[in-house]
Amino acid sequence: MFDEVVVLSDAVNARETTATVLAGLAVAFAALTAAFLLNAWGRPAQRPPVPLVDLQFISTATVRTSLVELIRMKADLSDFDCYGCHEQGKPPPLRYDTNQNLIIPKEHDDIVMGHGRHNRNNNCFNCHNETNLVVLQTRDGRELKLEESAPLCGSCHGPTYRDWEAGVHGRTSGYWNRQLGPSDRKLCVSCHNPHAPAFPPRQPAPGPHPLRPVAPRVLAKERSH
Amino acid sequence: MKTAVRNYLFFLKRCIRIAFVGDWRYYGWMGLLTVFCLLGLNAYAKQIVHGLIATGMSDEVSWGVYIANFTFLVGVAAAAVMMVIPVYIYNNEELHDLVIFGELLAVAAILMCLAFVTVDLGRPDRFWHLIPGIGQFNFPASMLSWDVIVLNGYLLLNAHICGYLLYCRYQNRKPSKWLYIPFVFVAIGWAVSIHTVTAFLYVGLGGRPFWNSAIVGPRFLASAFAAGPAMIILALQIIRRVTQYTISDRALLTLRSIVQVSMLINVFLLANEVFKEFYSGNLHVASSKYLYVGLHGYHALVPWIWTAIAFNLTAMVLLVLPVSRSLKWLNLTCVLCIVGIWIEKGMGLVIPGFIPTPLGEMVEYAPTLNETLVCFGIWAFGLLCYTVFLRMSVPILQGKLAKANEGTLAPASAGPAGGETALP
Amino acid sequence: MPDPRATPDRVPETPGAEMNRRSFLRASAVLASGAAALAASLAPLRELRDYTSVEQWLQKYYKELTPEEMARVLKRIEDEVERQYGLRPQVRDLKPMDGVQFVYALNLTRCIGCRKCVHACVAENNQSRNPEIQYIRVLRMPHGSIDMDKAEHNYAPASVPEKGYFYMPVQCQQCRNPPCVKVCPVHATWQEADGITVVDYNWCIGCRYCAAACPFWARHFNFTRPGLPKDGINPDMAYLGNRPRWQGVMEKCHFCLQRTRAGRYPACLEVCPTGARKFGNVLDPNSEVAYILTHKRVFIQLKEELGTSPRFYYYFDV
Repeated sequence: MFDEVVVLSDAVNARETTATVLAGLAVAFAALTAAFLLNAWGRPAQRPPVPLVDLQFISTATVRTSLVELIRMKADLSDFDCYGCHEQGKPPPLRYDTNQNLIIPKEHDDIVMGHGRHNRNNNCFNCHNETNLVVLQTRDGRELKLEESAPLCGSCHGPTYRDWEAGVHGRTSGYWNRQLGPSDRKLCVSCHNPHAPAFPPRQPAPGPHPLRPVAPRVLAKERSH
Repeated sequence: MKTAVRNYLFFLKRCIRIAFVGDWRYYGWMGLLTVFCLLGLNAYAKQIVHGLIATGMSDEVSWGVYIANFTFLVGVAAAAVMMVIPVYIYNNEELHDLVIFGELLAVAAILMCLAFVTVDLGRPDRFWHLIPGIGQFNFPASMLSWDVIVLNGYLLLNAHICGYLLYCRYQNRKPSKWLYIPFVFVAIGWAVSIHTVTAFLYVGLGGRPFWNSAIVGPRFLASAFAAGPAMIILALQIIRRVTQYTISDRALLTLRSIVQVSMLINVFLLANEVFKEFYSGNLHVASSKYLYVGLHGYHALVPWIWTAIAFNLTAMVLLVLPVSRSLKWLNLTCVLCIVGIWIEKGMGLVIPGFIPTPLGEMVEYAPTLNETLVCFGIWAFGLLCYTVFLRMSVPILQGKLAKANEGTLAPASAGPAGGETALP
Repeated sequence: MPDPRATPDRVPETPGAEMNRRSFLRASAVLASGAAALAASLAPLRELRDYTSVEQWLQKYYKELTPEEMARVLKRIEDEVERQYGLRPQVRDLKPMDGVQFVYALNLTRCIGCRKCVHACVAENNQSRNPEIQYIRVLRMPHGSIDMDKAEHNYAPASVPEKGYFYMPVQCQQCRNPPCVKVCPVHATWQEADGITVVDYNWCIGCRYCAAACPFWARHFNFTRPGLPKDGINPDMAYLGNRPRWQGVMEKCHFCLQRTRAGRYPACLEVCPTGARKFGNVLDPNSEVAYILTHKRVFIQLKEELGTSPRFYYYFDV
């Protein structure tokens, strides 16, 4: 008799616990419903703004503007009118200082001589024709117009000139398929200042902005040579 | 024919009804799992809206904890069928019924795998592109297409075997050998294939030297056959506790010996891998360095992998010693096994393959809250499925849910209708 | 007498409609609140905008579209872009030209690491600015080594080039034996006759297997809705090229096919200040690239040992 009572009360307890559990579940689901509707978590973190790149970094302009392009743009070419100041038939004298460095006259002080190391190429008339200032001259005496300077460069820089002729040195823009449109092979002087031809260093465009933050690498010992 | 279909549908109806009936522990457990499922579903809805930026993945580490869980669970699914070998090949009758529990675990694990892959997709609405004939199925070149075939095939195989055997038991009728034995043998081979194909997903990528190694396939199988039976050992003890289904200790010890051998092989293969990576000093060791000792100041995974190795070694030692024959120690060993292998296969395999990137960049990975909730939700879903499967199958195996007592004892239902009318 | 120690499927029968009604109400409360929680869990989907239209979802595979269907698809895309970004583009389906095999050559003597190519590509190809997707990544390498482990991605000196380093831009190498094409489960990426490996953005399911397979980190994924600037959109678009993408799909360098299949140089080449980049049809003996491959002595194909056979050749002068 007692067993049956105890056992029956166990059953009743079990039913009550079940009831409590079910009630608890109903409350939990209701709380979840509210939490979901409030959208309290889970939004992706705000990303830091990525600045738009400066337009200079997507400009296709070359480093310099060549005479050919100036002519094409119908720009002011008075700088190239040599005999506006010089006298015909009178070669301008070259002056050197005690270290054999060329002294640039103040009328041409925008020119910085840097063609060749140790000033090996600082004689103006290595390239310019002293008797006819509007043309250039090669070592073998050929005359070239100012806007056709490429063979003059090539007369010393042979391998580079050969590559340039094939379109491989310097940039060739436009159409790779010449039947569909023109191509535009940039001239030497579009990138290289003939008086100081070394290609100028420039500021690089900004680096990548990865999606997840990248801490800087630790430069370890193994990276040294 | 019509009667057969009607009977089957009635059987299904009874199974579904019984899934809603239980004591307070059952309701508490199922309620807790449902809460996590809903949290996961909500997190996934947010992921659909915002995109995979809601996870911690990036272009640099483009697979994360979803694929890590997928890889681990394919192993569990494959290993669940390892119990089948002693029963059908070595005629170990002890384990006969337990095979069903193992295969049901395989079904639940495969459902979890499919869920993990689905939540990892950027455009899950375009799943139909994968259907052969309707979409463009890149078989046999893409290992992912092989994975789709073998996983779904394995799901169907196991669902058929379990469903057939359980229905026959329900009808108290001897199952016809031809309708399940051939499938069982196919399932054994198929189990090895699902995990090998998943391994080949990684091995086939020449651009990732951390993965492009022949040892990945064997290691996958070894670690799967350690973690899977370990999960089954724990599951069987829970079944023993919660229902009155008798499970002998011998069955558990047979499974223990499977875990023992597999863990020994797993640790041996780990030693092989470590030697190969570090001895020759070639530059492909970068990912391994990142994982085991850190690289260039990045070392997020180092404590994880060493914890996993410690767990695996401890589990291995315990398994070799007779002390693990006692259930308390065996349970601890199983937990160590499962956690150690989860870390090793998930974070120790998937993530280091991406760090450093093929261009040498170091970007680390950590899952977000949303990602974690989705993972918990899918695990809860899988446990929910497995609990429901057990809730249906244990009474059938005990004879308590049988055709013989159709209509005589309706389960007191928590559902709306109350009792059902008895059918002749 | 019912057995109270019964297994859970035999909860003891209790007499009384009272118990049944209460348990029915409890059960209904749980089910109702559960259903409400289920519905509420999907509440975030209310914010979903422009995910897909039915027509877009049902669109056939690119290679199976007839010309009329493709024309309809292109018009639909133009409508979509106009609705989303406010300008009407022109979207064309450019086919490969006959007798063309594109090859890219990059002169490592001349690259100064200015990164103009990176940004010109972004502008030309309508890539997302936030989150940032860039098809080209310029690596700064120390003299004497091509080991990627020594590469620096985030160099930011006052001016380039820096002494002791060379610069190597990396983008999709358009491999002849592409691992990304091999692994895509739905054929969303394939190599066309002129050598460009393309992506059909309407077919990609976003599994990112191709990103794992690529040895050059060339494939990029849209983790969220791309952020394009309102006045920075290039309206000259191609279906397989630079039309705007959505969240959840892959994208990558496609050799600017909206330009190159019309016979022009790609944007990265057009902006390079030193002319380090060379592009063309290797089957044409008069092209720059044919000249380079004939005359230059030292080439690198990155990660050549992997057998992917890139169409990208890095070389040095002389």
